[in-house]
Amino acid sequence: MDYLIFSLSLMMVYIGLAQLLHLQFGMAGIPNFGVVGFWGIGLYGTGVLYVQFGFPLFLAIIVASAVAAAVGYVLALLVLQRSGQAILAATLAFAAIVATLVVTEKGLTGGVQGLGTIGFPLRELDARNLVYLGLLVVIVGAMIWVSARVRDSRFGRILSAIRDNEELAASLGKDTAATKRMLFAITCGLMGVLGGLTAPLHQFLVPYLLAPSLTFAVWIALVLGGKNHNLGAMIGVFVTFGLFDILVETYAPVPAEQAILLPNLKLFCYGVLLVAIIMFRPTGLLGVDSPRSPKRPASGAGRDVSTRGAE
Amino acid sequence: MLIVDAIFIGLLEASPLILAAMGFTLIFYLNGFMNIAYAESITFGAYFAILFNVVLGAHFYVALLPSMLLSGAMSVAVYLAIFRPALNRGVGPTEMIILSVGVSFLLRYGLILIVGPENLFLNEPSIVYMQVLGLGATNLQLVALALVFAMAGILYWMVYYTGLGEQMRGLANNRELAMASGINPHVTSMAIWFIAGCAGGMSGVFSGVFAQVTPYMGWNVILITMLVTIVAGVGSVRGAFVAAVVAGILTAFITLVTKPLYADVVLLLAFIGVLTYRGARTA
Repeated sequence: MDYLIFSLSLMMVYIGLAQLLHLQFGMAGIPNFGVVGFWGIGLYGTGVLYVQFGFPLFLAIIVASAVAAAVGYVLALLVLQRSGQAILAATLAFAAIVATLVVTEKGLTGGVQGLGTIGFPLRELDARNLVYLGLLVVIVGAMIWVSARVRDSRFGRILSAIRDNEELAASLGKDTAATKRMLFAITCGLMGVLGGLTAPLHQFLVPYLLAPSLTFAVWIALVLGGKNHNLGAMIGVFVTFGLFDILVETYAPVPAEQAILLPNLKLFCYGVLLVAIIMFRPTGLLGVDSPRSPKRPASGAGRDVSTRGAE
Repeated sequence: MLIVDAIFIGLLEASPLILAAMGFTLIFYLNGFMNIAYAESITFGAYFAILFNVVLGAHFYVALLPSMLLSGAMSVAVYLAIFRPALNRGVGPTEMIILSVGVSFLLRYGLILIVGPENLFLNEPSIVYMQVLGLGATNLQLVALALVFAMAGILYWMVYYTGLGEQMRGLANNRELAMASGINPHVTSMAIWFIAGCAGGMSGVFSGVFAQVTPYMGWNVILITMLVTIVAGVGSVRGAFVAAVVAGILTAFITLVTKPLYADVVLLLAFIGVLTYRGARTA
């Protein structure tokens, strides 16, 4: 039971990360391949502040996430106006830097030996795992709700204009570079929050957690579910992590000697799924959802006409 | 002396990277997307060498050639089965990269399911330590270096001085015009994917013999290969060669002057810096 709650909590983190990637890539067209780096800053930042400096857990999460957001902002300043492929390579390199620094800065992070123990919050509660899972559900649910609001807002329309034709959006007087930077920094900070929230789940942090496989798992889930659909991230994580990691690995009756092959089989299936989706259904399982037309109060009608032209 | 050491060590260690970067660049140039699945050309090259060298017992240098050719053939097969249909469907560059990640997973974990995740070792040809200009190296390292430079020279000559290279550059720059001039995009693309696969396979065999053969060996070098390629500029085979040599020497230099572990960090930061100032804006 505890293991199931742990898996479900981790699944919430994955959904959150995929949702943020939906904002970055699906809405604004920024191919961020450094997801694990921002998540890792949150994770290890929280761990270091909590274990080495005695910060209370939630303060540690906030500080670590602020660092993740600041790093995201600097990275955005450096490469966000370059081509998509350059952004992709730079973010991938950034994540590799984070993973390497965690190994080299042994004094802070414990290096390959690991860093622990991060205490679980709400220690006095019996059902604290379940409450924590509830907290994650609320946070991730809020992210999905806010994404839908962003999509329907003026800000969301600027983002999709940037994604589809950045020069055109800029020529209409939108500060596209600053908008993208802001979105990137905020969403990277939120990836840091999710990393910080993961720290008490693992309790003991090892550099292996920062392998790029997390980035790819999140990307696969998002592309599978539908990168331009607000619920694509959630559905994609259900189909990948939920189906393989939770259902198959926990409940499938597999003899022990074959069980070690399961993770490889899983990643093989991810590969097959990803190829099939891009070849036959490039918009993902859910396809594209169109923004809801804003409910307009009578007095706002004049303003709406003017923004219509700007879209 | 430090500089000479760095150049020497850098060249020896960069030799597989040089080949990988040149092959990767060819595909990037021709089809305009970064083929992450190129990592598996490297890995499979090493595993084909295991097949010939360890399973069938051929001498290492004898195993090199068929391993390279099989890796090239696999590259063409993947192109025909997956990448060409995807390109014909008009999949965009970022989606092509994600597709290639999928292909990479499929091939790598398919390989693990068949041969298992264990690390394997090639039977090295007899190792002799030699002194070159007062620096120590093994005969194997020197042969690898010579072969890599020969292969690099052949690739360079092919791209800039042969009909095939001209056709490739024509197709990359203006596909319609190239086709109207009678270039068969089909044959040229297959030839380029074959050559790129061979280069990757050779790179894999050498990195395998210097260390060990693992299912992740290609994946581990693909990031640095990508960065080298992007920094070198889109599809410049010359640039990829120079950037790979510089990256190798820089890594060796940083390793010699600081803690070895920081070499990666400094190199990656340098790459991000280069991307910032002259990163492929038009890619």
